[in-house]
Amino acid sequence: MASIYTLQFNSLSFSHRLSSNLVKLRTEFDLCDGQLSFNRLSIARNFELRAVSSDGDHPVKTENVAVAGHSKRPVAKFHEIVSSLPHVAFVMKKNAGSSFAIGLFFATAFFVIVVGVYMSRKSRHSPPGSVADLVRRGQLRSDRRGISRPLKYEDPFNNPMVKVGKGNSTVEMCGKVYRLAPVTLTEQEQATHQKRRSRAYQWKRPTMFLKEGDSIPPDVDPDTIRWIPSNHPFATIASDIDEDLAQDNMYQKHGVPFRIQAEHEALQRKLEMLQSEQKLNKVVIDSSNAKDFERPFKFNQNSHEPAEQNPFNIQSGNSRPPKSDQAPNTVGSKSSSEELPKP
Amino acid sequence: MLSFIQSPTTPFKPLFNFKTLKPTKPHFSKPIQSVLQWNRKPQLAGETPRVVVITSGKGGVGKTTTTANVGLSLARFGFSVVAIDADVGLRNLDLLLGLENRVNYTVVEVLNGDCRLDQALVRDKRWSNFELLCISKPRSKLPLGFGGKALVWLVEALKSREEGSPDFIIIDCPAGIDAGFITAITPANEAVLVTTPDITSLRDADRVTGLLECDGIRDIKMMVNRVRTDMIKGEDMMSVLDVQEMLGLALLGVIPEDSEVIRSTNRGYPLVLNKPPTLAGLAFEQAAWRLVEQDSMKAVMMEEEPKKRGFFSFFGG
Repeated sequence: MASIYTLQFNSLSFSHRLSSNLVKLRTEFDLCDGQLSFNRLSIARNFELRAVSSDGDHPVKTENVAVAGHSKRPVAKFHEIVSSLPHVAFVMKKNAGSSFAIGLFFATAFFVIVVGVYMSRKSRHSPPGSVADLVRRGQLRSDRRGISRPLKYEDPFNNPMVKVGKGNSTVEMCGKVYRLAPVTLTEQEQATHQKRRSRAYQWKRPTMFLKEGDSIPPDVDPDTIRWIPSNHPFATIASDIDEDLAQDNMYQKHGVPFRIQAEHEALQRKLEMLQSEQKLNKVVIDSSNAKDFERPFKFNQNSHEPAEQNPFNIQSGNSRPPKSDQAPNTVGSKSSSEELPKP
Repeated sequence: MLSFIQSPTTPFKPLFNFKTLKPTKPHFSKPIQSVLQWNRKPQLAGETPRVVVITSGKGGVGKTTTTANVGLSLARFGFSVVAIDADVGLRNLDLLLGLENRVNYTVVEVLNGDCRLDQALVRDKRWSNFELLCISKPRSKLPLGFGGKALVWLVEALKSREEGSPDFIIIDCPAGIDAGFITAITPANEAVLVTTPDITSLRDADRVTGLLECDGIRDIKMMVNRVRTDMIKGEDMMSVLDVQEMLGLALLGVIPEDSEVIRSTNRGYPLVLNKPPTLAGLAFEQAAWRLVEQDSMKAVMMEEEPKKRGFFSFFGG
């Protein structure tokens, strides 16, 4: 019965929405409102007619004529169809139940899809700085870490997040109120602690670092010696750096760094020596080393040498004696030549 | 957490019994005189460059975090800062600052003559008056014969730079009192001792303070890190005043425990730049403020008070 009531309610609501044309048509069909409300099929037919009538006046008229021509027989047929159909309430109940189940199914499926998409997005866009985020990005691809979010907190001199209470006994920071307690440490107490520590800890900063097993130099205070084990992970006493030179390197402000310049000069000297001795084309190259620098295809394309030399170069590892000789040197000379213009 | 004007000195009263380490409620006989230190630039005290070593006995108490945040706070205040990672074997300051991919040269390369000092300094793009210098690459060995000397030369070289001497040279010291510690403290004039409110950290801090004092560094201030007011209230953690009582050092700052520290560490984005500012970030900023002015804390935050609810609070207001 509930479905019938709803149906009646629907028909009422439909009837409110029916156009004047449709109401007119109903009177021509001799269908009363009671019948309309009783049978849903008739409502559907009315809607079909209404859809036609919305286009304009002329089609409606033709339709009216066409329907009116068979006005007697369709009504009889209609009554037969109605009588052949099962009870309306039963049909409607059945339809309502199945549609509810289908609706529920679709709603559930939609909800599951939405939740799945949300969870996958959430897992993908983990908050910056979390462990998942670190794993996703990896330490090797960390070049974007420093600029992951633009700087926002610009002004350290105007901070509304900190407020001091009226009586100065409380302070509000980040929305939380904290009670303040005065610091009670006095200078006298500090001096007492210093004295205690000076008695407890006797220490001299080590100035001499020796490997275990070394002998102590005669004019050195044993307290200032630090013994470094030979397997220390990062400290060593072996130093191949001259102290004066290291100090000069530290104070150097302009020009080519010492070592770069020294390497460059050494290479330059070597090259000049080779050129002067005319040994440039006679240098013997180790075949295993030369293989590393060998590029047969590129060499073939770019070669300006006679063609008969190429098969020999590809077959044997001793190809391009002058070039393979220059290859390791050019790296050093290139880096140093960048620094060269400076005095 | 904040900087406070010098309160009238009160006679020392022991706040708690050392044997039990149970804090008693302090009595507030006099009102606390305090002002906020915002809305102005801090006044630089002392001679520049101020060479500050940030050290602690124990590892994992937050030396590198403190160095990164205090250093960047100083840069934001407008001072030029050079932060030196003196942790030879286990350097991490570059990671905290997000500059790990820009460290090509270190002090060792400068000493060897592979590069100049200005090439080894890594300038932070966020604050151009902040520069990072690492002392060595993780897998290289530092000749210890002149590790300390090298840092002294380094400070001298920074002093005589063309663009002027930096205002602050902050040295991140490695844990322990090994060779790295000796190297790091050599050029320093003042020290910041980072500690946490637990007895292991306090014992090491006391020892390190003793060594620093033996070495002639008298200006030592402490920073108490990872403080939890809820645990202090429940008497499960020593209060800041208890820590001060045990070490007898002036307080530079109190940093509350904050989960944002780990996140900022992982991101390579120091805490003091976060917006909205976090509690720990504000505390670091205030500590940097006091470092500039050579001030110390005169009052500490004790515990959280229940917030007073307004008349319309039950309406959600």
